[in-house]
Amino acid sequence: MLLKELSNLCGVSGFEQEIRNFIKEKIKDKVDDIKEDKLGNLIAFKEGKNNKKLMLTAHMDEVGFIVSNIEEDGKISIIPLGSIDPRVVLGKKVVIGEKKVPGIIGSKPVHLMTGYEGISSFENIKVDIGVSKKQEAENKVKIGDFVSFAPNAMLHKDWISGKALDDRGGCSILIDLIEANIEPFYNTYFTFVIQEETGLRGSGVAANQIDPDYAIVIETTTSGDNPEFPEARRSSELGKGPVITPAHRGYVNDEKLFNFAIKVAQENNIPYQIKRRTAGGTDAARIAITTGTPSLVISIPSRYIHSPMCVANLQDYQNTFKLLSIIITKEVN
Amino acid sequence: MDIKTILKNLSNLDGPSGYEYKVIEYIKTEAEKIPNTTNYVDNQGNLIVKREGKGKKIALFAHTDEIGFVITKKELGNYFRFHTFGGVDPKIVISQRLRIHTKKGIAYGVVGMLEPHLQTEEMRQRVLTFDDLFMDVVENSEYVSIGDLATFSSEAFELNEKYVTGKALDNRASCTTLLYTLYLLNQYVVENEVYFVFSVREEDGTSGASTSAYHINPDLAIVLDVTHGDIYRPGYPKIETGKGPVLDIGTMVDYKYFEKIKNIAEKISVNYQIEPNGEHSHTDTDRIQITREGIPTLLISIPLRYMHTPYEVVNIKDIEETARLLSYFIATGGE
Repeated sequence: MLLKELSNLCGVSGFEQEIRNFIKEKIKDKVDDIKEDKLGNLIAFKEGKNNKKLMLTAHMDEVGFIVSNIEEDGKISIIPLGSIDPRVVLGKKVVIGEKKVPGIIGSKPVHLMTGYEGISSFENIKVDIGVSKKQEAENKVKIGDFVSFAPNAMLHKDWISGKALDDRGGCSILIDLIEANIEPFYNTYFTFVIQEETGLRGSGVAANQIDPDYAIVIETTTSGDNPEFPEARRSSELGKGPVITPAHRGYVNDEKLFNFAIKVAQENNIPYQIKRRTAGGTDAARIAITTGTPSLVISIPSRYIHSPMCVANLQDYQNTFKLLSIIITKEVN
Repeated sequence: MDIKTILKNLSNLDGPSGYEYKVIEYIKTEAEKIPNTTNYVDNQGNLIVKREGKGKKIALFAHTDEIGFVITKKELGNYFRFHTFGGVDPKIVISQRLRIHTKKGIAYGVVGMLEPHLQTEEMRQRVLTFDDLFMDVVENSEYVSIGDLATFSSEAFELNEKYVTGKALDNRASCTTLLYTLYLLNQYVVENEVYFVFSVREEDGTSGASTSAYHINPDLAIVLDVTHGDIYRPGYPKIETGKGPVLDIGTMVDYKYFEKIKNIAEKISVNYQIEPNGEHSHTDTDRIQITREGIPTLLISIPLRYMHTPYEVVNIKDIEETARLLSYFIATGGE
C-alpha cells in the first residue's frame, strides 16, 4: 500500500504531475501498455480474457488553492480549488508552487479578538511566507502557482491520517491491483485522472479514448460518523467495509453493476456498506454522460475529507482492495 | 551557538504547563555547555542556572511551558472530548493532529471537521467552540485517560531563512534568548551574581517564576516573554518583528531601570520598540514585582506573530539583538 507516500505528494487539481510521475514509475513495467493523454490522464492497460473493456478510475488530484494575488505586505492571497471549508485552514502549513515554498496560514491571536469573532472567508485568509514586501514575495511565488496543504501523513496501527486521502486512496488501490498481478476478466484500463475536484474534467476525456463497456470509479468518500452528527444523516461508517454507491449527484449508478458488486462481496464474505447519502458527485457521472457507460462507485469510507487532516481505516482499505481484486476477475452478471 | 537549531528543537519538545521536564532537561544540557555556570532544578521544576558573582543579584526569567489541552471525556469508539488551558482559539484547533501525553506513551488525536458535502447551511455558518469539537484518537486510543494533556504536533521550520515558525515559540523564543545571553556573557567581565530562571507554569496562572523570585530574592528581575507583532491594535503602537526587542512600560515595570536599559540600547545601537501595558502585562512580571518586599522588574518582549497557534512566527534577529542588549546590560551591572 502506497497511500502514505501518495498522500505526501502534492497534486492540487491541475497540478497532478508529481502524482502522475510517481504512479507511472511504479506501474510502467507491470502493465501491457501505458500512456499519458493530452490533458494529463494516465491510462494503463492490462489485457483480459474477454474483449469487452472495463475502465477502473481514481482521481489523482486533491483540493487545494492557487495564488490569486501577492499583496503589498508580501502576504499571499489564495482561492480554493475544490470545495474547502474555510474553517479547516487556519494554523496550517502549506507549500507553494513547484519549488514548494513553505508558508503558513496564520490566525489572529485569541488575545486580540473582540468578543466572538466569526468564520473567516477566503478573501481574508492569507499565506505568510516570511517576507514583508511584495517584491520579495514575487521572487518566490507567482500568481497562478498551486498552494497545497503540506505533507503530513502518518500511518498508525489501524488508521491513516493525513491530507489528500480523497482520492489517493483510490490511486493506491489501483496500484495495488496492478502490483498483485491479477489476470483481469475484461481488457482493463487503469485510469488515473486529473481534476475531479474542479468539475470532473479528466474522466470524460479518458472515457472518450477508451470507450469502455463498464466503468468502476474507486473513490474515498465521506462518512460523518462523528459524535456530533446524527446517525440518520451519516453517509457511511468507518470499519464497516467498502462503500457501494446506489446513486449520487448526477448519476444513479448502474443497477447491474451495483447488484454484481454486492453479490461478489456477499459470496466472499467481504463486509460492505451501501452509501446512505447522495451528496457529492464523482467521475461516474461524467463517464456516464460522456460515453453512456454503465458505471459504479466503490469507495473507501473516510472522515474529514477535503481538510488537511483526513482519517481512514486500514481494514476498510484492505477490504476495498479485496472486493475489487475479485470483481476484476469476474464477468459482470 | 546555533540559535535556529536550538529554537526549533525547543519548539518541537512538548511541555504543557506542569509537565515541562523535557524542555527543562534540554535547556539544562545546553546551559551546561556554557562555561562559568552551575545549575539546579528546584522543587517546583524550575531550572535555575547561576553565574557566581559578588555584586548585586540580577535574575532573568523565561517560562518554558506551553498552552495545551486536557482530555475531558471518552465518547463512543475512539472519540474523546477535550478542553484547553492557556487560551486557545477553538477555530485554529480544527483539523489539527494533537499529541496526547498518556501514562503509557504518546497517542495521536485528530480534531475532526465534518466534510463540507454533509454540512447543512446552518452548520456552515456556525462558529465552533470547544464544546463542539472532538478528538478522533487514531493511535493508541486505548492509552488515553481523562486528565491526560495534549499539545499541538506541528513541527518547527525556517520561514524564508529569517524566521522560525512552529508551536510554543511563546515562550521558547525567550528561552533561546536567555541561553544566548548566557553564552554572550562570557565575552565580558561580569561582577554581578546572575541567575537565569527557566520557569514552569506561566500559561496556567504564573505560579512558577514568582516562587523562584521569592527564593532568589534578586535586586533586579528581568522577565522575557513574547508579544503580538505585525498586527494592528487600535490605540497601540505597531510592534513589528525584525525591529528589535520590545521594552515594555507600565505599572509592572521599574521606570528607573526602564530608562537605563533604553539608554544602553541606544549606546550600543540596538533597535528597540516600546510597548505600553496597563494594569497587567499578563506575564510573570506582574507576580514577580510583588514578591517579598517588592522586586524592581523589567519586561522585555520578543515580537511574535499568531500567538497561541500551531505556527507562531519569530524573527531570529530579534533574539540575537535582545541577547546582545541583555548581555551588555548585565555586564554593566544593570546601570
